[in-house]
Amino acid sequence: MVTTRQLLEKRRSSGSVGRGYAVLLWAAGGLFFVVVAAIIWGIVSQSAQAWGHFGISFLWTTTWDQNTDQLGAAVFIIGTLTVTAIAMVIGIPIGLAAAAFLTEMCPRRIATPLGIAIDLIAAVPSIVVGLWGLYVLQPIFLRDVEPFMQKIPVVKLAFKGEPLGASLFLAGFVLSIMIVPTMVALTRTALAGVSNLDREAAFALGATPWQVIRKVVIPGANSGIMAAATLALGRAVGETIAVTLLIGNGTTLGHPFSLLNPGGVLGSIIVLTFGESQQGSLYRSALMALAVILLVLTLIVNLGGRWIVRRNREFRLP
Amino acid sequence: MSTDVIDAPAPSSRDADYLARRELIQASARNTVKRRRISALVIRILFGICVVLVLIPLVALVYYVCKRGIDALSVAFFTQTPTPPGIPGGGISNSIVGTLIICGLAVLIAIPVGLLVALLLIERTGPIPTAIRFGADVLSGLPSILIGLFAYSVIVVHTHYSGWAASIALAVLMLPIMIRGDEEAMRTVPGDLWEAGLALGARQSRVVRSVVVRGSIPGLITANLLGLARAVGETAPLLFTTIFTTTFTLDPKQPMSAIPFVIFYDGTSAYKNLQEDAWGAAFVLMVGVLILSIIGRTVAARLTRKSR
Repeated sequence: MVTTRQLLEKRRSSGSVGRGYAVLLWAAGGLFFVVVAAIIWGIVSQSAQAWGHFGISFLWTTTWDQNTDQLGAAVFIIGTLTVTAIAMVIGIPIGLAAAAFLTEMCPRRIATPLGIAIDLIAAVPSIVVGLWGLYVLQPIFLRDVEPFMQKIPVVKLAFKGEPLGASLFLAGFVLSIMIVPTMVALTRTALAGVSNLDREAAFALGATPWQVIRKVVIPGANSGIMAAATLALGRAVGETIAVTLLIGNGTTLGHPFSLLNPGGVLGSIIVLTFGESQQGSLYRSALMALAVILLVLTLIVNLGGRWIVRRNREFRLP
Repeated sequence: MSTDVIDAPAPSSRDADYLARRELIQASARNTVKRRRISALVIRILFGICVVLVLIPLVALVYYVCKRGIDALSVAFFTQTPTPPGIPGGGISNSIVGTLIICGLAVLIAIPVGLLVALLLIERTGPIPTAIRFGADVLSGLPSILIGLFAYSVIVVHTHYSGWAASIALAVLMLPIMIRGDEEAMRTVPGDLWEAGLALGARQSRVVRSVVVRGSIPGLITANLLGLARAVGETAPLLFTTIFTTTFTLDPKQPMSAIPFVIFYDGTSAYKNLQEDAWGAAFVLMVGVLILSIIGRTVAARLTRKSR
């Protein structure tokens, strides 16, 4: 039997028009690789000076002094990880529960419009969310939320110091608002993919809705949920603009380290000081080195996520 | 799910012990049913609360931006350039035009390249298409600030800040979304149609143009609009490629202002009139992106229905 592909093979070699078209396709493909290579090369090459000057200890040096050029990335690496962790701790469970409610416990004629609304709001640009956080949430955090967190037992240990409004905590919180729509949308798709027969079987065995969700639906959608969480994580790690507006922009870890301290993430310090630094200076190169660290972090998240998703899928095969 | 306890027929022997035991079992069954009902209700309420928690900030955000934004709008807002800090009036026409031109050029670059790469993915198999697919997935996960820094070190360093540099940065940002969206849209064209075209003796390029691309136009529009919607509101790539100015220009070789700049810089300024501009800009940007997303989502459904 002649397949489409074989027909294509035959057709492909015929005539100069066909060849011109093929050249065009491969040129576009080649251009894509050139762009990807240029992204990596462009960022890495500009950071060479900083790596040469500071060496690998740049990664764990906690000083960032623009005047004396004593620079280390540790403050911003820790800031990025802290803010991301706050966003994930708040965003993932709530997003998962909301998605579970929409797919499992809610009539479709309510779930569908709610889902579309959440999808659309996910498209609101992060700068707009940042502006809203700055004008609306920051005063509320300063007056109510941060003093309140200081009163909760155990939790208060992470909230030492004077509430200032703009802080790692506020940045992480707003970030969680930004990743929740992504989480809900993707998790809903994953949960909807679980067969109804599985659910019915569990109900027939006498499971409560909670048991069905925990023992059947969530394990069944495991790899999809993982993929959703990975995408949310990637977005949280790389989000810059909204965080820059809300994090308070400190360049030290603070004594003692507290979620109420103003801090910085890898992107925020680049955005804030890039314009005032000279092209070719050591400082500019150190900013590019921060960008390299951010690049590596996002690659780890992306590739790690793909790996986990693939591994889970293999495990699920009967 | 009916979970009422069924009454068993009474036993013929009036054994008091038996009756007592039956009573006990029924009570415990009733108890279980009650517990399960309560558990189901509690879980439903808890999860419902999570939905509300998700919705509150999102609704509050949209409401507040609309409230502050609409107040800031006027005819001058769209037609005039900014006034100096502290002086009311003026508008952000230069930034609006800047965003339109920068995004327009970005789309003009990204759509053809994205479509061609997607065609490559559709038509060829082997390691290179697989690598492109992988590359597109990784690229779409990269933070936009890195795309901006790339455009800076590859273009701006060798030239200067310009609208073109910003367009190229945004084009690179949209490209992976468009490639994967285009590919998905074209995969929905059935193989039969390919074969029918080829059986008529058409060249492959001809089949692709007339059958595959035309047959997937709604999907292609959706993919490209969503790619554009993602890029319109990006601020980070602009910060490294163009400059926030107050001059009106139509020339992309010059530094061009854009709407996200107004929000980022004026929103953090101490002057009331600049803050007003920032809220107006935020409203315009949000509405623009939402409209693009809504059109993107509905156009596919609408056009597909019509063509049937």
